[in-house]
Amino acid sequence: MPIDKNQIVEKDKAIVDGVELSAEWNRFFEQRVVFDYDTSALDKVTEIEGAESMGWCYQCGQCVPVCPVDNVGEYGPRKIYRNLQLGIDLLESPDLWKCTTCMNCLRVCPKEVDMIKIMPAVRAEAVMEGQVPEELQEAFENTFEYGNPLGESQRKRADWVKEAGVEVPIMKEIKRPVDVLWFVECYPAYHARGKEASAALAKILNLLKVDFGILGTEEKCSCDSQRLAGEEGLFEEFAEHNIGLFNKYKFNKIMVTDPHALNAFKKEYPKLGAEFEVEHYTTFLAPFIEQLDFKNTLNYKVTFHDPCYLGRHNGEFEAPRKLIEAIPGVELIEMPRCKQQSYCCGGGGGGMWLDGFMADYVTERLSENRVREAVATGADVLVVCCPYEVSRFEDAVKSTGNEGKLLVKDIVELLAESLF
Amino acid sequence: MANQNILIIGGGPAGIEAAKGVAAMGFKAILVEKRDRLGGTPDEAQYAALTPDLRDAETALNEMKAPLDGNPNVEVMYNTLVTEASGSVGDFTIKALQMGKEVEIKAGAVIVSTGFTHFDPGRETQKYGYYEFDDVITLTDAEKMLKAHNFVRPSNGEKPKRVCFIQCVGSRDRRLGNEYCSKVCCGMASKQAIEIRQLLPDCKVFIFYIDMRMYGYWENEIYWPAQEKHKVNYVKGMATEIVRSGDRLLVKGEDTTLRRPMEIPMDMVILSVGMEPSEGTKQVAQIFGLKQNKYGFIETLGGPLDTVSTSVPGVFAAGACTGPADLEDSVSMGGLAAMKAMIALRQAEAVPA
Repeated sequence: MPIDKNQIVEKDKAIVDGVELSAEWNRFFEQRVVFDYDTSALDKVTEIEGAESMGWCYQCGQCVPVCPVDNVGEYGPRKIYRNLQLGIDLLESPDLWKCTTCMNCLRVCPKEVDMIKIMPAVRAEAVMEGQVPEELQEAFENTFEYGNPLGESQRKRADWVKEAGVEVPIMKEIKRPVDVLWFVECYPAYHARGKEASAALAKILNLLKVDFGILGTEEKCSCDSQRLAGEEGLFEEFAEHNIGLFNKYKFNKIMVTDPHALNAFKKEYPKLGAEFEVEHYTTFLAPFIEQLDFKNTLNYKVTFHDPCYLGRHNGEFEAPRKLIEAIPGVELIEMPRCKQQSYCCGGGGGGMWLDGFMADYVTERLSENRVREAVATGADVLVVCCPYEVSRFEDAVKSTGNEGKLLVKDIVELLAESLF
Repeated sequence: MANQNILIIGGGPAGIEAAKGVAAMGFKAILVEKRDRLGGTPDEAQYAALTPDLRDAETALNEMKAPLDGNPNVEVMYNTLVTEASGSVGDFTIKALQMGKEVEIKAGAVIVSTGFTHFDPGRETQKYGYYEFDDVITLTDAEKMLKAHNFVRPSNGEKPKRVCFIQCVGSRDRRLGNEYCSKVCCGMASKQAIEIRQLLPDCKVFIFYIDMRMYGYWENEIYWPAQEKHKVNYVKGMATEIVRSGDRLLVKGEDTTLRRPMEIPMDMVILSVGMEPSEGTKQVAQIFGLKQNKYGFIETLGGPLDTVSTSVPGVFAAGACTGPADLEDSVSMGGLAAMKAMIALRQAEAVPA
């Protein structure tokens, strides 16, 4: 086999005579000896504001076994550091886009190498240079143009209300203060399965006689995932828009459907001067559990997936479990990786819009890995409470051949099933 | 009646601390030093800054020995070498040569603090070429250059662009007979790496290591700042050998986490040499009949619970004459040896002759 000397570089894969070889194999087709450590690659990253801690890694490797991407591919902060030390430019590497910002590495990192700050900071540089994977760019453009990454019309953002079957007050129309401003967010407003969960939540809020309202067609994406994927500018623009709405209407607290919005409102919007009381719908509903009159016994064995941005990022593990366990007939079986140790669905940090890109680097999707874990518990239902997850896990149930064995339901759907 | 003098042999950090303690408690300290000044290896090897706090070594040592000046309870004998010893606890007679003249010293107890010597990398010639390549130097050589604020390539006087340290030279090595870890070299190398980066901000500094042994506060006081603030590059895998490559050096080794060989060009290589017992330590051990370990260091008998008592009652050892020790160890042992020596005198007194 002739060796093309131009190919003698570190590659993630090599194509030899039309056969694609992974790095383990292609290593044998490259020169063995390391001739230099080009420190400029590491310097370039650590000089970016927010990415300084990338240079702190002392190679203990604790991040690798808990990195959900490494579980299905070849990744992890320790390896990113090592590649940087070897002179591989992260800004031009596919590695820049693989992190889902699930925070499992930071949880275990003794040196506090903070990928949650590093990734958006370095990605922002790549975004400025226009080096963004195509499908992610499309999600950015959709968000910019339509106010949501799905590319759905802004005018249709409140259309789900018509199908909800109960009253869903819209702030612009009711023109009065409310107790709870429900920030619905994009997937619960547009995605077919998201809309079903929104309708269920609307029914429960009505049942509890909660004084609430939504922003309807005025609401725009919270953009936390776009921010983590590197679109800082888009995030700031949309944050200002939403903060404008929060200031325009009178309410006591914000309730969000999406843990990513929770994260933005709790941690990022305050930096822009907007401090509002905000909680996830699971923590909002949990105190009402005694007041709920469950009518139907469900007879499900369920398991629960902790969303990264509700659990690890914002410390809430109990409220979802309290709700699940209150439902008559429901038995909760925990997956081995749960609570702080929870696996990631693959949707965070831009992963929601990078499935095609990621396919080249993983043996299976993160969602598939998680679904197999859920099936192994013997559960009938995988319960979720993040709008990214229903669609991701339902796809994964099909692709792993588990159709008919495992259902994926939002907590509110399960509650509604028992209540109505 | 036991002689109330306590003889301290060796005027390094351990000996100075012992003398200060003895004098402060009202006993007479006779401090014998072979050189014409105190300060021991940190002074003789012209340390630039102390590890780990990076304090200026000269200032710190001067401050440390100042209480000895004009102290009526302290007699410092410079240029003096101990040659013979007889007697036992409470009543030692020691002969010494002071500037070639024989003198006799009477003491009730003795503290040996004769220190260490740096491993001579000449014994590793084939691997690292210390005597072959001008630009291969040791920690000690580097320390002198750093003290003079003139860190340049010995071969041509130019400022280096790339410098690396090779750890564990002369330590952790069965073949050389030095199986022990020299304890301070990881910290010394990291400290010097910081100093090089401060002096020459454009110079890249690498440390090739097997394990970084930065115990206690050295971890956060030296290792972390070296990596995080001063951007020193740590690469796991010790260099095997050095070969010439034009006017540079090629450092060959394995990058163990990459599992691939490396051949990295360097302008200067600093060998992190370990500790061996000094000549003085070996001689004094023989003169007093002190038990030595297989490496030649003076053996202390109490394990971790008594770090200064030797095989001879009334003779105590402190600092790096007992094995690899950092400044913290040496000074702590100096104080402990002073206390134990005074206790030995009191006990000798209590027993009727």
